[in-house]
Amino acid sequence: MRSRASFLLIGAVVGALGAAALFVLHLVPVLGVLLGGILGACFALLTRFRTTTPGAGLLWGLSFSFLLWLTGPARLLPKVAADTSMGMWDMARAHFPELVGYLLLFGAPLGLVLGACSAREPAAGPNAARFSLPRALVAGGLAGIVGGWAFGQWMEKAHFFPLIAGLVGSASPNVGKSLHFLFAVIIGSTFGLLFQRDVRGCGSSAGWGLAYGIFWWFLGPLTLKSLLSAQRPDWSLAHGQELFGSLMGHIVYGLIVGVIYAALDRLWVVFFIDSDPINRQPEGPGSRTLLSLGRGAVAGLAGGLVFWPQIVAVDGLPWIARLAGGTSPTLGLLVHLAISIAIGAGYGMLFERESPDWGAAIGWGMLYGISWWFVGTLTLFPIWLGASFTWTTAAAAGALSSLLGHLLYGAVTACVFLLLERRHQDWMRLDPRFAAREARLHRPVGTPAPALWFFAIGLAVMLPILLS
Amino acid sequence: MLFAWRGLPGLVCGLVCGTLLGGGFGNVSLGFAVGGLLGLAYALVLPRPLGGKGAAADRAMTAAAFGLPMWGAINVILLPLLAGQMPQWTAEGMRALFPALVGWLLFGFALGLLATGAVRLIERFLGATPAEPKPKVPDFKTRVVILGGGFAGVTAAINLEKEFRHDPTVAFTIVSETNALLFTPMLAEVAASSLEPTHISAPLRSSFRRTAVVRGQVTGVNLEKRSVELSDREETLPYDHLVLALGAVSSLPPGDGIAEHALEFKTLADAMRIRNHVIDVFDRADAERDEAKRRALLTFVIAGGGFSGAELVGGLNDFARGMLADYPNLIANELRIILVHSRERILPELSVSLADYALERMRARGVTFELNARVSAARPGVVALKRKEGEPTEFEIETETLVWTAGAAPNPLLKELPVERDKRGAVLVDGTLAVKGHAGVWALGDCAVVPDSKTGGPCPSTAQFAIREARTLARNLRASILSEPLEAFHFDALGTLCVVGHHTACAEIKGYKFSGFFAWILWRGIYLSKLPGLERKVRVLGDWTIELFFPRDIVQTIDFQPSPKKSAA
Repeated sequence: MRSRASFLLIGAVVGALGAAALFVLHLVPVLGVLLGGILGACFALLTRFRTTTPGAGLLWGLSFSFLLWLTGPARLLPKVAADTSMGMWDMARAHFPELVGYLLLFGAPLGLVLGACSAREPAAGPNAARFSLPRALVAGGLAGIVGGWAFGQWMEKAHFFPLIAGLVGSASPNVGKSLHFLFAVIIGSTFGLLFQRDVRGCGSSAGWGLAYGIFWWFLGPLTLKSLLSAQRPDWSLAHGQELFGSLMGHIVYGLIVGVIYAALDRLWVVFFIDSDPINRQPEGPGSRTLLSLGRGAVAGLAGGLVFWPQIVAVDGLPWIARLAGGTSPTLGLLVHLAISIAIGAGYGMLFERESPDWGAAIGWGMLYGISWWFVGTLTLFPIWLGASFTWTTAAAAGALSSLLGHLLYGAVTACVFLLLERRHQDWMRLDPRFAAREARLHRPVGTPAPALWFFAIGLAVMLPILLS
Repeated sequence: MLFAWRGLPGLVCGLVCGTLLGGGFGNVSLGFAVGGLLGLAYALVLPRPLGGKGAAADRAMTAAAFGLPMWGAINVILLPLLAGQMPQWTAEGMRALFPALVGWLLFGFALGLLATGAVRLIERFLGATPAEPKPKVPDFKTRVVILGGGFAGVTAAINLEKEFRHDPTVAFTIVSETNALLFTPMLAEVAASSLEPTHISAPLRSSFRRTAVVRGQVTGVNLEKRSVELSDREETLPYDHLVLALGAVSSLPPGDGIAEHALEFKTLADAMRIRNHVIDVFDRADAERDEAKRRALLTFVIAGGGFSGAELVGGLNDFARGMLADYPNLIANELRIILVHSRERILPELSVSLADYALERMRARGVTFELNARVSAARPGVVALKRKEGEPTEFEIETETLVWTAGAAPNPLLKELPVERDKRGAVLVDGTLAVKGHAGVWALGDCAVVPDSKTGGPCPSTAQFAIREARTLARNLRASILSEPLEAFHFDALGTLCVVGHHTACAEIKGYKFSGFFAWILWRGIYLSKLPGLERKVRVLGDWTIELFFPRDIVQTIDFQPSPKKSAA
């Protein structure tokens, strides 16, 4: 199944089928079907050694289809080359349905099918993780419950439960709540099924959760909810804007599922696998977790200092000072730096050993930064200030100015952390125990992390802009 | 060469992809220039070697993701600032710059894909770019050998690693007869079955980052040739600096049968032997019908009323009396725990009031004391005592157990060395811990006489002093290599603690005296914090917690009785 020809053929067929579905929905011209087949084959060729599991394939497929939407055959590409008018933004908003279609009908099936074909081959290499179905279902299900609880807080406030109950012909909020938790468990379990092999630390797993949450926003509220009600899905921009709060909820749900799943998964491995003496791996002396906390705190301070001018430029310090009950810019600066240090320490804890190089560090850092824009700026800070969190397009538009600052904070924090993490002398790796531990714990090359960064960060930045 | 291999293809790819940036900048030339520069920089930072199969996809997506911060940094912030405007980070501003965002994302993807492909092609035709040099084994210029794996030796090794953490040319080797550091303050608890033996030892191999561990017995040191001889190998260990941390051994008096019949109390094996011996004699006593023999079996004599002896007798008393519940045939009155001490009060390291308190508490719990007396001889089943005063001056105790804790002497290997020693055999060092007359030789701990730079007197042979001496020695060793001034050793003792039985201890900390339950809490808390390694702390804490709910373990793990040969027939 891994022969190049068969892989290309599968890619071409699935790509063509996806494009055909888009054609039926009038989202691409008839020529698009042929183009879909060609692009499917190109995707298969490009990612033949990366779509090794359904989960990896899903992420690569989503990022590829997002890129295709950006390129937009005969739509966006010429505009990019020649024109800088507002028209491009309007055009992008007008083609929002294509974005949904490309992701759900082209990218996702293409990646899933190619990944599933690859998954039939036995995993190779010393670092290949063994898949465990019970682990995926139990850890994922439990994580889904916790994430569902958090999402449910907003759904209750937005009176969404009766709407969910409508899927089974009821109007009862309790029925809706039960259905919501059922979906949460199912989505959490599928998270485990798809991404168990890619999950290492809580930080990167949160990134996977963010991407998965965004995907499920497209698939769930925008698509399946209508289909289950025997209605045609509404992929219009207006409908997307109406469901912006749900997008936020899915993102927060995804982040929580990612973190909780990684923690439970790690517990499972510790109890059932690592506790077996036969599975004991060589360890070098000393523990690095406390060091990572400290390094993260220092890195977070550096990121906060870089973020500071942007906050000053938008007169954000008095607002931050309100978190401590004051209004003075000095207090705001202190609070901002304290938060930066704490969040930086969190980065150190969550992302130690995730970055083999500067590129990976910047990728994870930006993902971390933008996660905190959703969780912090749009969710926790309003709650902290005594208001209920408002996941609206207006709130997102108002907070857009800090979005870049969060990205910058994340990137700087990650780079400084990597600099501090790398200060050990290379010759210490001559100790085979150190080398074995470093090799085992560091994220290997070949995971779908680059696809994750592009898809998650790209859409996490673009959607608030498009939908606001 | 790197520029030709990678820079040029990167520059070309960047120029090509720069067409995607022109729209965002509103200036095609600027797009080419920025694209070319970024392409050049990107290609130069690509890893060497380029990466395996699938690397192109990784590079393309990663570079595409980087387009986002580049858009933010250049289009949103930098260009407006250069044009004298505010950064365009509002919602309206970002919408206006949306085309540039798309351009950057596509630029990144295209650059990542094309540059990786171009570099790969160039390498295929012209040969791969030389890989980054791997770390090589450093040439060791200085070899430091530490003899002894106790507190002094291990702390010296750890601190030397810290002092020389930036200098890979210094190699460290520690030679130890055991493979673990024994935490001696808790040794009595092992003998009393309160702690598991391995829980108070930290393996040497997991304690160091770059110190080589040699398990072996030192048979000689050649100070002229600067080498160490070991018992189990022909080759010797060369050194540039030698640290003598050989510690002390039990000092049993020769002749009179004491060395042959006494149990020592110095090592982990000694503590395990004592514990198992107690269990063994209890089992034998349980089967013994003769009252006198039974009484002898249940009599335990401990020689030496210092810290070791006092802690051991308190622990053994608790253990033995606690075991009686499992031996209904044995009577508590037949059990005797006797501490023999040559002076008129035990625990001479503590103040009089605390020593008296300890004695009274142990006496109240059933311990018998023979003060101003010493063990003069031993033979099977009998221990002879001599009193300084009182009648009778000489008498015998029928017992099957004699434990010797009275005194220790420096490692006898030191007698072979041509160095100055005191009358006990400890090596004389100067205030900087250097052995007099021998450059590059250092000594510390129980095997050395270390003068305190402030008081002038010798430092006590305790663990807290050994640890501080080790830190000073590490600094001085480094200073001597760098020809910097050395520092003289000084340390003010923090205090002493001694546990003498269940929930009972004595403590003297910076002049403040504590006794009873509070002192016992202090003892456990302080020594738990000093136990090396988090894992060991957790294990010991677990043992102490289990002890709250369950009786001490009486499983015998060493069988002293010869097993009868079994016939297959």
